Amino acid sequence: MSTDPEMIALLSDSARRYAADRYNFLQRHAVLQEGRGYSEKAWQDYAELGWLALRLPESEGGLEADGAAIGAVMEVVGSHLLMEPVLASAIVCAGLLVRLASAEQQARLLPALADGSLKLAFAAEALTLRDNRLNGVAASVLHGDIADQLIVVARDGQGAQDAETLYLVDAGSPGVARQSYRLVDGRGAAMLRFTEAAAERLGAGDVCAKTAVEAVCDEAAVALCAENLGIVKALLERTCEYLKVRQQFGKPIGVNQALQHRAADMYLIREETAALTKAAQRALELPAPERARIVSGAKAYIAHAARRVANEAIQMHGGVGVTEELDVSHYFRRLMVNAELFGSRDRHFARFVERSL
Amino acid sequence: MTMQLARERARKLKADVIRFCERDMPADLLDKSRRHQVLHKDDYVRWMQLLHGQGWAVAHWPSELGGLGWSPLERFAFEDQLARLGCPWIIPFGVKYVGPVIYTYGSAAQKQRFLPRIATTEDFWAQGYSEPGAGSDLASLRTAAVRDGDHYVVNGQKVWTTYAQWADWMFCLVRTDREARPQSGISFLLVDMRSPGVTVKPIPTMDGYTHVNEVWLENVRVPLENLVGEEGAGWTYAKFLLKNERTAGAIVGMAWHALHRLKELAAEVGPDGKRPIDQPLLRNRIGEFELSFLALEEAAYQAVEAMMTGAENGGEASLIKIRGTELYQEIAQATVEVLGPAGIAWDVEALHSGGLPPLGPSDAGGILKDHFYNRAATIFGGASEIQRNIIAKGVLGL
Repeated sequence: MSTDPEMIALLSDSARRYAADRYNFLQRHAVLQEGRGYSEKAWQDYAELGWLALRLPESEGGLEADGAAIGAVMEVVGSHLLMEPVLASAIVCAGLLVRLASAEQQARLLPALADGSLKLAFAAEALTLRDNRLNGVAASVLHGDIADQLIVVARDGQGAQDAETLYLVDAGSPGVARQSYRLVDGRGAAMLRFTEAAAERLGAGDVCAKTAVEAVCDEAAVALCAENLGIVKALLERTCEYLKVRQQFGKPIGVNQALQHRAADMYLIREETAALTKAAQRALELPAPERARIVSGAKAYIAHAARRVANEAIQMHGGVGVTEELDVSHYFRRLMVNAELFGSRDRHFARFVERSL
Repeated sequence: MTMQLARERARKLKADVIRFCERDMPADLLDKSRRHQVLHKDDYVRWMQLLHGQGWAVAHWPSELGGLGWSPLERFAFEDQLARLGCPWIIPFGVKYVGPVIYTYGSAAQKQRFLPRIATTEDFWAQGYSEPGAGSDLASLRTAAVRDGDHYVVNGQKVWTTYAQWADWMFCLVRTDREARPQSGISFLLVDMRSPGVTVKPIPTMDGYTHVNEVWLENVRVPLENLVGEEGAGWTYAKFLLKNERTAGAIVGMAWHALHRLKELAAEVGPDGKRPIDQPLLRNRIGEFELSFLALEEAAYQAVEAMMTGAENGGEASLIKIRGTELYQEIAQATVEVLGPAGIAWDVEALHSGGLPPLGPSDAGGILKDHFYNRAATIFGGASEIQRNIIAKGVLGL
């Protein structure tokens, strides 16, 4: 499965133009202020741009996008800090449905996912299932605050100890208590308590849910690498601009070699982040063990390297770097969240080492 | 050539190199080189001629001069794979540095005279660039060449001249015009090392071996026909050459080889019945090296591809040099630490004669020698600080 390079260039180009016109820093600020942590209008725009169907099969009007095509959009999600659940709904949950849901479920859910009328969120923390009823707590569900339906992982206590099955739950159904909160970067999340909640099993159990979840979480990790690449590029650009215009002691601070060399180190990280992101995108097509090694290597490396770039960007901007009114501090917080999402640095590093040594 | 084809050819070439090492490498040379023993001139000449026998020594040259039409990707993969296998390095001064300068800028007579003997390593070459007052600031060099009839008379001093003690020839940057601004008064001369007035003084280094020398030039008469290209254009040729110097696949392979050996050593059961690699702190450290290597390898190969498609941003060669040498040095230091007492025991004689080190595995002395030698890897060929200057000024516009 490989997306046509021309299609990728088109996606990238239209995403850039859209974000520059409709999602600049001030427009994003309005979204942040609005209180819901996302823009319904932007979400409809994404549907029209085809982003919500990226992951869907062509038969459903989708693009069957590969890692590079998804990355082209995610880079812009990063560079403009888009708040909406592109990753959670259009990549992760769509990926799970495509892999696991029955034909009937796909026919019912995928069109609504593609046109933006259905938002899904994924709860990775395993719940328990008895008599088709769900119980347990999922403490940190990205965009769980605004999701219409949830895909949850549950163990039924039968079969192997770690046998997992995926279920679909209506977020508004009785038995689901939702406690919404914000993440440090302004995006929404929720703690969800399930008490004897009704659930619909995804698929017929003929596909291994654990394998599918692992594959989809790898896709999410790679998408986050691309998002972080967009952020790292933006931070390097902002920092170099600032080094050229900020005057102290009668000259631009960028003439100081101490700062030049640190900017050069940020460049090195940008290049490595781009290279590892591309490698991880290619690795999604490899057999699971080699895929896991490279994806986890990339996620682990980029998680720390990107945060180093953000730290340096703040340091070189001085006090203004930590203010609300400058995007640098927003990039810093987004990278902090992205490092935790879909596997922390330590978890991915351990997975990489296990497969390398 | 499409990138797909270039990648396939690079992959096939790596397999050919592995087969060559298994089948065609003389056992003594392979052993010496894998144990990182001191190699002597005849070892290197034999090695370069072995490569030439495969067509590989000058495979990157134009086909009418014996080249194989290699893409930069093949050249890079070739150097990478040789280094992974622990082979000796490709002595670059002839085939990689001065050869391309001569066939790009030299006269017909120079091509005819020098290129065949460079290809076969019948002539051994050295590089006369650095001077006591001109290291990173190469353009401030002072060695002077003054015309006298059909000769230049050269006076000055070169330093850090690798293998000058073995060299038949030295390509040399000299100042032919004191009035012009620093870069434009420089010319590129080919100096016969047997000329009267050439004195080579070795500079012993901490690896117990002599790689580098001072070369004193006192009233050395060099025929005008040994000027390459135009008088005063030497800086252009030097920059052309430096680009070839920096884009080197060997550093990726060297880092891989060193990391591979570190993992082997760390997996050996120690006197306490335990494997060092099972200790969490060392395991974590080696894991970080693995991760840095993944980043280096991906960034390096994608950089070479970007240079082939014209998508480069100008910092790629510096990235490979900085990250490759810095990672290599960290791995080498960790390896010495894993060697424990064997990592501080030193027998120079054994390194020269191919004997065993006082303690530890048979390559312990060689590992130390390479650790010492490559401490300079972040200094020679453009120091890391110079590479960061290049990125800051040339790429980031600071």
